[in-house]
Amino acid sequence: MPCENYKDALTEAAASGADPANALRSNAKMAALRAHFESCASCRTAFAEEQALFISIDAGLHATANAEVPASLLPRVRAALEEVEAPRLHWMSPLIFATTSVALAFLIFLIARPYRSVSDDQAKQTPPISMPLKPPTGSRGQISPSSVQSASTSANHLRAPRKSTLVHSAASSKPEVLVPPDEREAFARFVAALNARSDFAAAIVAEAPEKKDALVVVEPLQISDIELKPLESKETESSDRAGEKH
Amino acid sequence: MQELALIQPGGMARDEFLREAAQAEARREFEERLAECGALAYRVARGVLRNSADAEDVAQEALLRAYRRFDRLRDRNRFRAWLVRIAFRLALDRLRSSKRREQRDMFLSHPAHQPPAATAEDLAVSNEFQAHLDRALGELPEKLRLVLLLGAMEGHTIDEIAAIVGVSAGTVKSRIFYARKQLAEKLRCHAKTIKTR
Repeated sequence: MPCENYKDALTEAAASGADPANALRSNAKMAALRAHFESCASCRTAFAEEQALFISIDAGLHATANAEVPASLLPRVRAALEEVEAPRLHWMSPLIFATTSVALAFLIFLIARPYRSVSDDQAKQTPPISMPLKPPTGSRGQISPSSVQSASTSANHLRAPRKSTLVHSAASSKPEVLVPPDEREAFARFVAALNARSDFAAAIVAEAPEKKDALVVVEPLQISDIELKPLESKETESSDRAGEKH
Repeated sequence: MQELALIQPGGMARDEFLREAAQAEARREFEERLAECGALAYRVARGVLRNSADAEDVAQEALLRAYRRFDRLRDRNRFRAWLVRIAFRLALDRLRSSKRREQRDMFLSHPAHQPPAATAEDLAVSNEFQAHLDRALGELPEKLRLVLLLGAMEGHTIDEIAAIVGVSAGTVKSRIFYARKQLAEKLRCHAKTIKTR
């Protein structure tokens, strides 16, 4: 057992890692410790043990801290880096695809818009004929004037501008057209026939292409030259005489 | 509106191109550091975990994490210190999660009775002392442990350790001294037992 008074100094001296002789000479505290060692064998032994302990600790730390690096580490890391980058691309490509698709769809929408609106108009214009009018199940007399009236209203809307809808036509405050009873009846029959043949109705309902008024170009008449032929006098005279005799 | 829709994909493609170029540059730069610092990450992890397989896993994870966040590192000269901290933190996390299992393994793999080593050097390299040392190292405070490990690694001066840890050189010296002293206190009884047997 080391002497209690020198225990800490002994440990510090050993922990310093320096050569014991040099360490003990370096300052007054160490000089006192060296002087004590000359008279105390147990402290000398304890100091040697402490030194051996620190040497062991340092050697063990060196072995732990400088362990050989496995050769597989860097290839593993490089392979993992490749895997890290691959999912990034997988994640990005749907995003790019989606963005491009949206942009493309928007572009197509913009291009196709006028055509679609025409077909929309047709779709909007068709219901006023078919919806309010049910196919006539009975005779002519069963067609009520109200249905004829609604048909006439919807027929008016067929020629109305694009934006017209069924609701709008129902709520329209346009003045109604007064139709004589026989014309109303004929129109009802016509509407019933339209309802039976929807394709025919669509053909009628379809907008006619607008034609702008243009100047009529009248081409000059081409008259061929007149041929003058001499009269055959003998044959004519004999035939005249024969006619006189009769 | 239509023009904006047509320009936007082009802009995104350009951004994507720039991003990929930046990624390639970062990858090249990281590759340069990988060969240099891969061993450091492994050794730090190995010093904490005391297990080669776990240390390799942690080193790999640390390097991958460093790669993912490489663009956030403004001062690339700090990469070494940054990687050491990442590896050290990951190793500590791994150690905590598997502490119970590791303690059991250590207890089973190091029986109490074993022939004593003849010299201090033999003692150091003996499995028993190494196991005690590793265990004592694991019980050290984190800041002391990291400094002690870096100090024991070849090629690290006090100033370099100070730069890595972000403290002064005097603090590094002080921490190394206290760390060794604490280790000696923990290991003294084992050394005496072995020596006197």
